[in-house]
Amino acid sequence: MVCNLWSPNLFDCLRKLKNSRYPLSRIMIGGLFVVSGFEKLVGPYQNFLYVIQNYSFLPFFLGEIAARLLPWSEFFLGIFLVLGLWTKWTLRAVMALLLMFMGVVIQALIRQLPITECGCFGGLISFPLPVILALDTTVFVFAWFLSFRMEEAERCSLDRYLARNESA
Amino acid sequence: MSQQPKIKVTLLIIAFSLAVVYGVKFFLGIMPQNTLSSGQTRAKGDKGAAIQITEFIDLECPACARGAEYLGRIMAEHPAEIRLELKYFPLPSHRHGFLAARYAECAARQGKFWPFHDALIARQPNWSRLTDATPAFALIAKEILLDPGRLEVCLNDKSVDALIQESHLEGERRGVKSTPTYYVNGKMVVGLQSLEPELVRLLAEIKK
Repeated sequence: MVCNLWSPNLFDCLRKLKNSRYPLSRIMIGGLFVVSGFEKLVGPYQNFLYVIQNYSFLPFFLGEIAARLLPWSEFFLGIFLVLGLWTKWTLRAVMALLLMFMGVVIQALIRQLPITECGCFGGLISFPLPVILALDTTVFVFAWFLSFRMEEAERCSLDRYLARNESA
Repeated sequence: MSQQPKIKVTLLIIAFSLAVVYGVKFFLGIMPQNTLSSGQTRAKGDKGAAIQITEFIDLECPACARGAEYLGRIMAEHPAEIRLELKYFPLPSHRHGFLAARYAECAARQGKFWPFHDALIARQPNWSRLTDATPAFALIAKEILLDPGRLEVCLNDKSVDALIQESHLEGERRGVKSTPTYYVNGKMVVGLQSLEPELVRLLAEIKK
């Protein structure tokens, strides 16, 4: 069905779009994580380690571990969310990550650390801390909302496809 | 419901994703790297020193100034063990970074890179706040007795800009995103917080 303003069945189109907002939100959140993780992964991990060190909340060795593991976590969680694989658990993990990011940014804001750019998307794009806090909060609210609408969020997902194949 | 097909699909996706990431990393890794010849005028320390540091620096970045102070101190304590070479990496977020590099390169062409660099770093909090830093740089040039005629010609020389841009490109090819980024005996180290333990470790190894 082609959907545009001049469609004869505009009402059906709008209803269809409304129904697809959950899987679309899931895919968008996942995409954000994929981009963020991938950008960090293809560059030297030391760049992200420097970002972590600027937030001064982890001892050196933990910072090093986080700089190596966090981009992979973001990347895989993002891919799983986009594809809708282990959606329920991935969504929970994404929410936990977002809560952690928000905590880190809030402590940096409270301590007035001299961080002008968040460094959260590697070198791709950068936001000041208040902006990234707002973005993280928005994404968290979306993810939290999705977690109550798993039935709809799992539309167009591998989870649903595999379950259907299994039962067939 | 059996989870086996789901686990298989998950493993497949993980394997494919790993292949994509490492493929891209490999592709980026085979880009040509050391294109710039080592500029002697922007290096100090013994050529045969056990610790060779190449730093990508933005002369306006405060973290680079802290790094330069630390390196100055540690090189004074271990003059025979450390050699430092600087490469320009002016960041677009610093409005005077490129001009500072241009002046520094012109000082280098008169054999006075280090006096100019040290003065620039020491006074960075002052000139970085200015709308136009040219008078501040000209004053430093005068104080370290740069030939004003040669300086004027050099500042208009396009090869200076080309060299700075080439140096910046080299950094980008190596994955440099922020400053100060150091290569300590070839190992990438970003920021002073990582440089300190690395140098302490290497100096301890040398002493053994």
